[in-house]
Amino acid sequence: MIPLAKWYDLRDLSGLSEEITGWIGADWLASLVSGLLGALGVLAVVGPTLLILIWVERKVIARFQQRYGPNRVGPKGLVQPVADALKLVLKEELRPRAADKYLFLLPPVLIFLPALLIWGVVPFGPNMQVADLNVGVLYLLAVSSTGVIAIFIAGWSSNNKYALFGAMRVVAMSISYEVPMVLALLTVVFFTGTMSLNGIVEWQQSEDLFLVLMLPMTAFMFFFSATAELNRTPLDISEAESEIVAGYHTEYSGMRFGLFYAVELLNTLAISAFIATFFLGGWWLWGLDEWVPPWIILLAKTGGVYFIFIWTRGTLPRLRIDQMMHFCWKFLVPVGLVFLVAAAVERTLLLENNWDASIALPVFGIINAGLTVVAVVTWAKLSGTESQKLPSNAIMARGRVGGLRAAQAIRVDELGAEPVAGGGD
Amino acid sequence: MSDVGFHLAFWSLSAITIGAALMVVVSRNLIHAVVFLILSFIGVAGLYLTLSAEFIAVVQILIYVGAIAVLMLFAIMLTPRAGRDNSETGMRLPALVLMGLIIAAGTFIGLETDWGSMRGEAIDNQARIIGESLINEFVLPFEVAAVLLTAALVGAIALAREDPEDGSLHYASLLEEGLISPDEPSDAAPLSGTPGGGD
Repeated sequence: MIPLAKWYDLRDLSGLSEEITGWIGADWLASLVSGLLGALGVLAVVGPTLLILIWVERKVIARFQQRYGPNRVGPKGLVQPVADALKLVLKEELRPRAADKYLFLLPPVLIFLPALLIWGVVPFGPNMQVADLNVGVLYLLAVSSTGVIAIFIAGWSSNNKYALFGAMRVVAMSISYEVPMVLALLTVVFFTGTMSLNGIVEWQQSEDLFLVLMLPMTAFMFFFSATAELNRTPLDISEAESEIVAGYHTEYSGMRFGLFYAVELLNTLAISAFIATFFLGGWWLWGLDEWVPPWIILLAKTGGVYFIFIWTRGTLPRLRIDQMMHFCWKFLVPVGLVFLVAAAVERTLLLENNWDASIALPVFGIINAGLTVVAVVTWAKLSGTESQKLPSNAIMARGRVGGLRAAQAIRVDELGAEPVAGGGD
Repeated sequence: MSDVGFHLAFWSLSAITIGAALMVVVSRNLIHAVVFLILSFIGVAGLYLTLSAEFIAVVQILIYVGAIAVLMLFAIMLTPRAGRDNSETGMRLPALVLMGLIIAAGTFIGLETDWGSMRGEAIDNQARIIGESLINEFVLPFEVAAVLLTAALVGAIALAREDPEDGSLHYASLLEEGLISPDEPSDAAPLSGTPGGGD
């Protein structure tokens, strides 16, 4: 823990904020100013990061796909996001005549609010948090769940069937994936005994370990559910361009679309920061946070998690909606419940028996890793291979509905031979 | 928090809550009504915050905005005609009577309660206290609510579930029983029952 800093100490910017608010007399004005300063600080970090992230994401995905990516505007294409943003600002903003007049304008703004509010509880350092809420984890869930409404309104008010499909997919997906997300966070809360995000980081600091080592499956659950909530590529059926144009933002052009795009990146960055906080120790790194500013450590970890997000986006194919729902309800939710019970039992054992945490926690970690392996293997045996072998309702694989099999059946017909009955394997 | 900030927050939040609630009733478009309802919920959450009840405020947003409002929107979208029209109903008089009764009860309780005896300071770590009292003092209502919710869940599944043996016509099952041949044109295939799609 760093002692309270002087205002010029870069390791803890809260000293600067306190110095500024110290000049102000009135109490309510001081709290207003400190809140504004925190918000400005967050914006100052997030805004430029966003511009760089667009470039990073496009460049890294290009490398995954063996192309160059943006490389014309500026050195190595670095100014490309600025050019894109300018283009979006200058573009005409269309509104379909049949769209809902008022609601159509609302979502781009509405979706930006939770994306910014969510940064309020990210602990950038021991004292650097806009609001250190006792219920930080719940706040995260509450704020992130409101984004769905904006997407829903966007899809409905566009008066476009593809937008509506996208919106309905988002809502179905978000409602479903909120369950494993909550279960994962609940497991973390059970283990650390606090809902304050700074408290979770401090728990990891005091026990000298990253939570991902204790709860690998929970970390994966949170990561995967977050991917669904963020509509990122393995699970981005809500804006699947090969099926429904662009999903809920089909009708949005210009900067309105730009806001949707920016919010997607912003949310991904925020969720990366939360994964870093929950599972990778946040601003803490075995004493390095005494020397390097803790917020730089958190941003570095956030960048690492963000790279994993880009990685999954660049390498995994898109899932079908039934596969997604299947994975959510038949794997993530039951396994999440198992881990919830495991975490509760382990925590109670630790507290009741006064065991030495430095021995008990690694043992629990090994047990949880074993449970993870058992869960994955069991699911693969029971469900994964089964559904591959015998699709329960494989309309597309049978008869003359489409695809290669249908073409084969037609060719067999023309040759006068027997059609392959029930050709699905 | 001194008086200025508190009064500013209280009056603006009250205006938002009541104004939005009024618009829910006045608005002719059902989706608009739900959006105003969401605004009203958020205003109520803000009012909880001014009372330093941050746990309840966050839970208010999580449950009412994040779950109930979304379900309302979803229900409106899935019901063909209801999406457009917040029209006249025959329930106007009963609703007025009910509203009058609720206002009367609220006024009565507000006048009768000795507000001076309420404790003024905020409670730290409300989540823990609420959890402990739910498990200790109010465990029976808590369990009853849990059983009720489980029953509702099971009932919803039982109502909504398609029984494959109960006459619902799957193309694949029809094929297997030989009722139709694969040579029939594909548009005869009822594309219902795509697994997991409809929820």
